This record gives sequence, structure tokens and C-alpha cells, in this order.
Amino acid sequence: MTQFTINGRAVSIDADEDTPLLWVIRDDIGLTGTKFGCGVGMCGACTVHVGGRATRSCITPISAVEGAEVTTIEGLDPAGQHPVQKAWLDLQTPQCGYCQSGQIMQAAAMLKDFPAPTDQDIDATMSGNLCRCMTYVRIRAAIKQAAEAMGGNAPSATGAKS
Amino acid sequence: MSRLPPKGESGGFLSRRNFLIASTGAGLAFGFSALVEAAMDPAAPGGVPIASTGPRFEPTLWFAIDGEGIVTVNIIRAEMGQHVGTALARILADELDVAWDKVRIVHVDSDPKWGLMVTGGSWSVWQTFPIFSQAGAAGRIALVEAGAKLLNVSPVGGTARGGVVHVGGRSISYGDIVKRGGVARTFTPEELAKLPIKPAAERKLIGKPGKALDIAAKINGAAIYGIDAKVPGMVFARPKLPPTRHGAKVLSVNDSEAKKIKGYLRCLTIEDPSDTVPGWVLVIAESYPAALRASELVKVKWAAGPGAKVSEKDLQDHAASLIAKPDGGALLENKTADTAPAFKAAKSVLEQTYTAATVLHFQLEPLNALAFEKDGMMEIHTGNQWQSLILPTLAKALGRPETQIVMRTYMLGGGFGRRLNGDYAVPAALAAKALGKPVKLVLTREDDVRFDSVRSPSVQTVRMAFDGAGNILAQEHHAAAGWPTLANAPALMPKGKNGVAYDPFAISGADHWYEVGAHKVRAINNDLANETFRPGWLRSVGPGWTNWAGESFIDEAAHHLKTDPVALRLKLLTGAGANAGSDASTKGGAKRQAEVVRRAAEAAGWGRPLPKDTGLGLATSFGQERDMPTWVACVARVHVDRASGVVTVQKLTLVTDAGTIVDPDGARAQTEGAALWGLSMALHEGTEFVNGQVKDLNLDTYTPLRISDTPELDIQFVDSVEVPVGLGEPATTVVAPAIANAIFRAVGVRLRHIPITSAAVLKALAEQT
Amino acid sequence: MLKRLLVGTLAILVVGLVGFGAFAWRPAIGEIAPPAPSSFAPDLVARGEVLAGAGYCSTCHTSKGGQPFAGGYPMKTSFGTIYSTNITPDPKTGIGTWSEAAFRRAMHEGVARDGGHLFPAFPYDHFTKLSDADVSALYAYMMTRPALVAPAKHNSIPFPLNIRALQAGWKLLFFKPGRFEPDATKSAEWNRGAYLAEGVSHCGACHTPRNVLGAEKRDKAFAGAAIDNWIAPPLTAANPSPAPWDQAELVAYLRTGLSRYHGVAAGPMAPVVHDGLVKLPDADIQALAVYFADRDGAAGRSSTLAPALQRAAAADRLNVGPQNDPSARLYTAACASCHYNGAGQPNPLRPDLALNSAVNLDDPTNLIRVVLYGVSARDGAPGVVMPSFNRFSDADVAKLAAYLRATRTDKPAWPNLEKKVAAIRAQGK
Ligand code: FES
Ligand code: FES
Repeated sequence: MTQFTINGRAVSIDADEDTPLLWVIRDDIGLTGTKFGCGVGMCGACTVHVGGRATRSCITPISAVEGAEVTTIEGLDPAGQHPVQKAWLDLQTPQCGYCQSGQIMQAAAMLKDFPAPTDQDIDATMSGNLCRCMTYVRIRAAIKQAAEAMGGNAPSATGAKS
Repeated sequence: MSRLPPKGESGGFLSRRNFLIASTGAGLAFGFSALVEAAMDPAAPGGVPIASTGPRFEPTLWFAIDGEGIVTVNIIRAEMGQHVGTALARILADELDVAWDKVRIVHVDSDPKWGLMVTGGSWSVWQTFPIFSQAGAAGRIALVEAGAKLLNVSPVGGTARGGVVHVGGRSISYGDIVKRGGVARTFTPEELAKLPIKPAAERKLIGKPGKALDIAAKINGAAIYGIDAKVPGMVFARPKLPPTRHGAKVLSVNDSEAKKIKGYLRCLTIEDPSDTVPGWVLVIAESYPAALRASELVKVKWAAGPGAKVSEKDLQDHAASLIAKPDGGALLENKTADTAPAFKAAKSVLEQTYTAATVLHFQLEPLNALAFEKDGMMEIHTGNQWQSLILPTLAKALGRPETQIVMRTYMLGGGFGRRLNGDYAVPAALAAKALGKPVKLVLTREDDVRFDSVRSPSVQTVRMAFDGAGNILAQEHHAAAGWPTLANAPALMPKGKNGVAYDPFAISGADHWYEVGAHKVRAINNDLANETFRPGWLRSVGPGWTNWAGESFIDEAAHHLKTDPVALRLKLLTGAGANAGSDASTKGGAKRQAEVVRRAAEAAGWGRPLPKDTGLGLATSFGQERDMPTWVACVARVHVDRASGVVTVQKLTLVTDAGTIVDPDGARAQTEGAALWGLSMALHEGTEFVNGQVKDLNLDTYTPLRISDTPELDIQFVDSVEVPVGLGEPATTVVAPAIANAIFRAVGVRLRHIPITSAAVLKALAEQT
Repeated sequence: MLKRLLVGTLAILVVGLVGFGAFAWRPAIGEIAPPAPSSFAPDLVARGEVLAGAGYCSTCHTSKGGQPFAGGYPMKTSFGTIYSTNITPDPKTGIGTWSEAAFRRAMHEGVARDGGHLFPAFPYDHFTKLSDADVSALYAYMMTRPALVAPAKHNSIPFPLNIRALQAGWKLLFFKPGRFEPDATKSAEWNRGAYLAEGVSHCGACHTPRNVLGAEKRDKAFAGAAIDNWIAPPLTAANPSPAPWDQAELVAYLRTGLSRYHGVAAGPMAPVVHDGLVKLPDADIQALAVYFADRDGAAGRSSTLAPALQRAAAADRLNVGPQNDPSARLYTAACASCHYNGAGQPNPLRPDLALNSAVNLDDPTNLIRVVLYGVSARDGAPGVVMPSFNRFSDADVAKLAAYLRATRTDKPAWPNLEKKVAAIRAQGK
């Protein structure tokens, strides 16, 4: 039995301790916003927050989150109105959308550490999130827009890299 | 509506375009009762469309209006990131004249009434535009008439604006008309075809900024993709894949170790009458992690099929040997059969060979399908791009008529052509049949890659004959590659000039719009490729490699002629004769291509001085194919580091003329994505065959473009009211040659293989004299 | 904590040489009726609880998923497995019949109540330094725990190594009994830290290298050692971290499990911090920090910090912009999202790998283990997880380690990385 909280709700999961958190979230808990892309920690589609930090759930064994607080895209904001989500909507960032839960979770966590991210900060912290539709230009712009909305004053919100 | 003819039978489709027009027209019989059951609304929670209450008015198959004035548009295309529902619904809503916030979209099931269901080729908007315009117009006319009747006035002079009918000085909303019932009006296809379509100046939605309808659900986890499909009592399956794509046979299965895994149920050796997945064994378990764990312990012995030893080099060598034989392959119909006299007369000849590596689709959502029997139907829930193609295969595999199979199309976590080939639905359906319960098949990423219908590696040789005065006398383009259409839909292959059937997808692009005198284009199937794997259609397909060769070569020709490559292109894009354009879609012909070349060169500052080891390179194409040209030009600005060989793309400037732009933001997004795909395939991604399988199975060694690799993009569209064409692919085709051309201009070395690696650049620099 | 005792083959020889006689023979101390918990003063029990924490008693005396202090925790040695014993006051299976004198003898001399010599897996060579008052407090604490019935598990140490009397020879050679002697030249705080570190917290048990017979090399105190498939880094000036372990870093690390410049407490160090030292008051943590900052020579190394930070920031810049080198791509995609700090001060929750001890050690073991197995929410920084990259191939992990070593340090490359990764994967978590 592994116990942790997910989106503020306490859960108790009976699964082998090396079961990836991703499948527990998707199949046992039934929250499918978190996606499976590569299963090796290289695409970021499965990104959730553990203890508020962006974490690849596909390579996180369930035993590792015992007692931890897990947040998924469904719980990022009660109304789906996190500033990152708003910026994503405003700039129409998603194409197929499959990577975007992970992108948004990664960006939201990153902005806590880098409230006014530079292009370099975005490069380094977002490169683990593959977008096969290549929405990168908009992701960059949306992060800057969200940072501004959150009071972080990102260097520029044009989306173009200097 | 007609399905594709069975494999091997010639459908007589001389061109893809004719085929598509023929097969969509018949969906227009009005008066259908089209209750939208089992459809998917990407904007609704859980994907379940919100049921409308009260009476509905459904003047055509394509949409319905309810008593609240809500318009629900039926979309037969798959949503895979192109916001296709939004683009198509805007066409209909504009003509119907309703406010955008009243519009909903649903993605329908595979009922035959919808006609040919295929999403690819950048066709959706081009193909749907006339149909949805007429459907919207028909609805508007019917509502004006009905409104007038309800208001007891003459319909003459009645108009509709924003979902309200204004007639005889009074007005009534569409919703009220529907609520009060009694709208009955049908149109024959002939009447429909004659309906007046709005002049461009009166459009309110088309070409204007607007919000895509599928996006809200894609930022809060609510969007439902195939991999999210579930049904009570389903079991999970992961395949054990055979050593070869074709012809493998299972010799033995040993699951004694797997039995120790909690939740493991059994192994199932798939017997597949359609021969889609020979040699597959499915590991079945109560949960997916249990299936994964068990599958690692199951031992299967196979007898391999053909190609088990084939390497990338074998494939390329074979292609080169086929090109070297003068008489193999198909000659394109509208080109010259014999260029020998021109070459004989030439003062100089230039010949170069270009190669491109194997590329994976790597759509981010690994392949999956949920299949189960319900009420006598085999239901298949998955994301798919070409339902009409896989249904006959499913029928054969399952031994039941197509009428007893239905596909529900979920959102696709990326398509890029992989899911035109619905082969992954077959093992799921067969397992559901064998087990008598719902089976959800999910491929791991490594499975997905091994089972990919990759973009074939290719070899192309281009030759040009010149006189002594800087004129081009003739050109030949010989292209050898694995042919996706031969592998997946041979009935769609037209015959060439010499009677040989060929894959139009694999050669399109070589039949360019330049005036080069005698022009011979030869398409050659790399049979070793088709034998070894199942070639796929991958974003832009053939033009992804034909333009790589063609547009690199034009620059080489300019160099040979000691002229500027932009000037040479403009000189050759005369827009005369066969390159003048012959119908609404091709109107303007090569003149429009010249215009995008001019604009892109100007926007990028062509001719201005640049820092050391930095260069601009230009490439242009007509997108996918001659009868639906999207004119595009790209200028790449690159810097080459001579010490490391690293090529840095600093900026891509793209100018596109796609006729009328229906959804400007969506068009831009498609162009951004397509251009970056082009960049990714030019510099970052590519794999190779080793022992009949691709070498790179996951992102640790397969390295597509990431955010830090993304350069600045300058994307512009030509303002146009011409026929809207496609945008999903064209930009993909120009980036690689633009980069190679820019490298040449930066440091004087010519790279003829993609992806271009720093090692190759270093080698070329070292060989430079 | 000493979970794995290195027992050398030489033990047999040694034992043959020394002749036990009177030395080997120790009398049993008579059984007592278990004392009533109420017979211990509450503040004495409370002090004992702190000390039991500082000595991580429960970590070794509790089996996985078992009851606290009931024993049964396996310690693998190259000769077989030793199981820790039940130290609850159960009269049959625990230490309920042990008098305080018997308990004291065990702590100070490594002799059980019945006179048998204890394996040095029980670190009496450190506990011997404990003051009588602290032993009394520990006794009070242990005897007031719930008595649990848990018979000893049979050790699998083969004959003749399993003869307890043979341990006497080992003691004769390597064991120096005696209470802690303060160093008059140092402050009271330093001496408090030294008392804890050398005594109850037995830091040297992991951080001091051992000889072939498994005894700590006294002349190499805290010089770093391999333990339990991990590397316990040197706690001396030989520590290879580019940033000195100064007092503030040590306090942060020992108190919270994470430090700004060195990384988090993972592997066997995680329970030391989170289950053990957590019981100590801040003043004692401070004292440990004073002691180890001194051993590390931090004061003399303060000038190394600024260049180390500069190098770290420069290294981070390698992972922005287009990535060409395959190793850099791998790192940028797999690691940088969590470990990049950019121009700012390193964030302790974004462990900076140019400063991290695992990347700077002579041996890549710790780095490889963390990459392969991650760090759970209970270890390292509490509530935060590092996932386990065990789906990477050996070649990938080796590539990452080599890349970090080359770009984040100025130290020599690690040899045979791919083999090392394979070996560590084979060891398991
Ligand atoms: S699915 Fe977890 S990182 Fe790709
Ligand atoms: S939007 Fe499709 S993968 Fe990112």
C-alpha cells in the first residue's frame, strides 16, 4: 500500500512498488490528462508535480512518492485558470495537445524558480519537454506572457529569440 | 459511400485529386437524418458531445441547429493538431452567417454515410471548402425562407446576419425558427452546386482572427485521445514484436516466467488472415504495467521473414543500383520521355546525387487501439487518419463485413501520416475477437518505433544539360525510395508514361514548375525497402526528399552557371506553357511561385553583406503536388562553426501563398510546425536500419528538434482570395535545401545527405581545396 | 551506519595467533526482572530518545516493514548475512532481562549479557566513547519501549567465523575502549560535535576506510570509504567538492537533507538525516557542523567558492541554444530541466551538478546510483523526488556521467564507466 495525495486528495494504492506513478495516475486513479510519450524520461509528456516540483511520472516508481503531494494537470488550478494555462489559451499554443499537459506543468513549476525567465532559462528548463508538433515558438512566448501576468516581468514577450 | 477498391485492383484513379473529388461529392444528398451518435466533441468534457434539447434543424449531413441557435458541425477529419474542425466549421459558419461562439464541432464515427474518411495530404480545407460553403448557404437560404414564413412576410429581400433573419422589416433568430419547427427544405446536388457563395469581401469569419474550438480541452487535461479510451472489463495488451515487419512466423512462446507476474493473464499468438501483423504475440494482463512486466519475461522464438539482415547501406546501395539502370521505374506522364538528344547537344552537364536518411514519425502518442464487440458490431476506439483504408483490412482480418465494424475516432496525439496506416487496429480487434472481451492495446515507445511506417531512405540523381550561353536545355530527376502507397494502398497508384504504376506520393515535387526544356522524371521503387519494412507517408512524403534534391540542385546549377540562385529561379519560373496553371486551384501557376521567392528573398535581406561564415540560402516549392499547389519559399540564415562543424540556423523566413487563408492563426501554427519539422529532418533527426530494424528506438538516441534548437521564425502569407489549398506540409519541403544552400554560401561546402551532421560538415571542410 | 561489515579471511589466522585465555572469556551478567517503565525519569527517557536518534538505533534494529527496534534487519557481508537483534525490553527475545550494567558493557565493550562477544557490525568501537550518563539515558529509553516478541534470525555466518569468542581476537587488535576525551584546545561546541560524531553518531563507521579485517583505519579517520554499494565521501580536507563544507552548509545538510552547494542526502545518508539526526536539537547539529567544518578545513578553503560558482554558471550555459553533441543533448533533455540554475545562485532544490559531491568524487558510484535509482520523497529533500532513469541503457548512463565529469569538473575522466554502470545495475537498488 502506498499512500500519497493527488490534487489534494489522499489516496492509497495497492500496486507493486516499482509500478510507474504514470500508470497509477492514469489507470488506477483515472486522471488521463497526464500522458505517456516515451516512458524513459526524455519527452516530458508525463510531467506532474511532486512536492511542487516538475517530475517525470513515467520513471518515478510509486514507492518514491510515499507521503508526497502529487499534482496533475487536472489539479494545477481548480478552474483551469492558472496564468500559464491562460497564456497557453490566449496564444493558442497547443496543436495536437498531447505534450501540453506536460509542457504546462513543467512551465508552471519552472516559473516558481525563474519568475522572469530569460530565453536561456527557457531553453534549459523546457528542453526536456518534446513537442512533436513543434509548438516551441508559442511555448516560449506563452511562458513569457505568463511570467508577466504573474508579475515576473520576463525580458520580452515577442516569442522570437534574440 | 464507396470504399477503396481491394488491394491490387486498379481503381483507375489517374490522379489523387480526381479520386478525392469523385469520392466526396456523393455525401451531399440532403434530407439525411444525421443523429450524431458516438461522435467525439473535443471541446466537451470526456469528449462526449452535449446533447441538444428540443427540435433540431438538419438541412444537410454536415450540421444541425438547435432551438438555442447552437450550430453543431460534423467533422469527418481527424483532429491531430491542425485545428481542422475549427478551420472547416469557419467555412460553414461564415456562409450560414452565425456568430462563432454558437458553433460546436463533433468528430463523427466511421458510418458509411460520411463518405471517404481520410485526413492527410493537407487536403482537408481545400477539399471541404466548396462543400461546406454550399452547406452553409443552403442552411441560410432555408432559414430565411422559414423565418419569413413564420413572420408572415415575403422572403424576397430577406437576409441573415449573425444567426438572425431580417426580412420585411422584422427579424427572428435561427434558434427561434428551429424552436417553432417547420423548417423543411431540401436541395438536390445540382441545386446545391448552383448556390451563390459569398464574395470574399463579405466574409466575417474566414480569414479573420478567431479562437480554435479544440484548444480549451488541451490545456486542462480534458481532451480525450485514443490512449485514454476505456470501457468496463477491458484487459491490456502489449505486443512482442517479431524480428521482421513482414513474413515472420511464431515458432514457440514460453511464458513460464511471466506467470509469476501478478495480473498476467496469457499470451495470444495472433492469427491474422489479412497478414497485417504477421508474427505478433500479445501479452495480455489486467493492467498495463503488468503487461509490460510480463512481456519482458515472455520468450518468443520466431522464424524471421525477409529483410532480417538488411542495413541502411544495403537499402541505399540498392537504390543507387536501380537508378544506374536506365530503364527501371515509371516515367511521369506529363514529362519528357527522352532527354538524350538534349544531353547530347549540351556544352556542359551537371550531375549530382542526394540522399536522405530513414526518418521516424515519432508522433508523441504511441500507437494504441481499444477494440470490443457490442451489439453485433466490432467497435474500434482509436485515433486514425484514414478509416476508409483500414476498414476493408479489418473486415478481412475479422472475417466479418465492414458494416459490422465501426471506428470511433479520438483525438490524435500527433498524426504526421503515421495513422493513415491503421495497421495497429488489427491486432487489437483480433485479440478482442479471440478473447471475447475488450482489449486495449498500447505500444510502448520502442514498440511504436519498431512498428513505425518510417519515411523510406532515398537516393536521387539529378542531371542538367546546358548550352554554352547560360541556358538550360534539359533536366532529369531519378528518385528511388520505398513506396508507401504501394505498401498501403496500391489501388491509388496511377500509371506512368511507360505504363508502369508508381507512387505519386513518392515522386511529387520532382515535377516542378521551372522551365527547363526537356524534363524527364523517373520514379523508382526501392523494392528492397518495401520488402524490409512498410514505408509510410510522413509529413509531406515525397516532397520531403524530392525538393531536397531538386532545390539543392538548382543552387548547384546556379553556381555552375555563375549566377545568383534567386535570379536563376526567377528566370526559370516563367509561368508559361505547362507552368501557367490551368484551373482555379493552380491559377497563376509559376508566377505565384516567383512572387513568394521574391518576397522571401527581400524579407530576409538577400544580397546584403553578412558576417563571416554566415550565409543565406533559399529554396522554394509548390508544396505537395501540381494540381493543389501551395507556393512557398524559405530563406535560411545559418552560421557554420569551422572548428566544430556545427551549423546554427539563426533564422528561417517563410513566405507562403496558400490562396484564401481560412483560419489565419491555425495556418501560422501549421507553418511553424511544418518548417520546424523540416529543420528537424535537416539537422537533427534520422535513423538507420540495422538487421532489418531501425536502430534508434527512443529519445535517448533519436534526437528530434527541441525548444533550444528552435530559431527565430518570420512567417508571412500572401493576401489572396484564390482557392484555399493546404498548409500542413508545404513548409516542411523547403527548409533542408535552404539550409544546405546557405551552408554553401557561408563556407563553400556542399552537403548532399540529410540529416546534415557536424561530422559531415567537418569532413567537407577538410576536403575543400 | 554500518550495514555491511567487511570480514577478511585473515580473521581466522588472527584468531589462531592470539590465544584467547582470560581475554576472550567474559562472564554472563545475571538476568533481572524487566524494570517497570515508570521507574525511569521522563526527562532521562527523553534524553535517551535524542541519543537513540543520533545513533540511528532504529535504522539498523528495524527490519523493512517491521516494528521499531525489533531487529531482523539483514546486513550482508562477504561471508553471509548478519541480522540485527531485538532490542526492545521483551524478556525472551529482546533485552528485557538486561541490567543497566549489562547494557553498559555491551555499549562500552561489545559484550552481550551472556558474555558472548558481539560482531563489530554493532559499532561499540564508537559507543565506547559515550559517557555513563548518556548510556543510562539510552538504557532508560530502550527499556521504556513496547516489548515486542521477535526471535533472533539465524545469522548465516559460516563456521568458524560464527564463533563469537573469535571476535575477542579482533578486539585485541583493533578495539580501544575508553570514554571520549575532550580536546582542550578546541571550543566546547567543537568538543560537543566531536563527542557526537565519534561516539553515538559513529560517523566514522561509514566515512572511515577499513582494513582487510574490517576495522577502521585510525590514521585515516573520515577519509571516505565505500559502504553499502555507495561511497561515503571524505569528511576531511580531502573532500573533493569544489565548495567547502562550511558550517552553514553542514547545518543545512544535516538539518534538512539538502545543501545549496553539495546536493542532497541520498542512499544510506538519507535515514541518517531524516530518521536519526532529526531528533537532535539545533544546538547539537550546530556542534556537529562546527566539528566537521574544522575537519574539512573549510575556513582555509573559502576562496574556492566564488570560482566554483562561476564555473557552475558557465557550465549551465553549455545547455542553452542549439545542442549538437549527443551527450549534451542527452543531458539537456534528461537533466537540465531540474538541475539548471543559470546565472543566479544555485537553488538547493536544483542541485547544481558542477558543485555536487557525486560528480566530483574519485569514484562515480554515487552519481550512477542516483541516476539509476533516483531519490524518493522520503530521502534527499523531503517531499521531492528524483525519478529513476533506469530505462536508460548502460551506454546512456555512462555517457551522461562522462559528460558531467568533463564539463562540470576539472578532474580526470572516470575509467570504464559503462562496465561500472552495468555492475551497479546488477547490484540492484
Ligand atoms: S513519458 Fe515520461 S518523459 Fe516521456
Ligand atoms: S502539441 Fe502535439 S506534441 Fe506538442
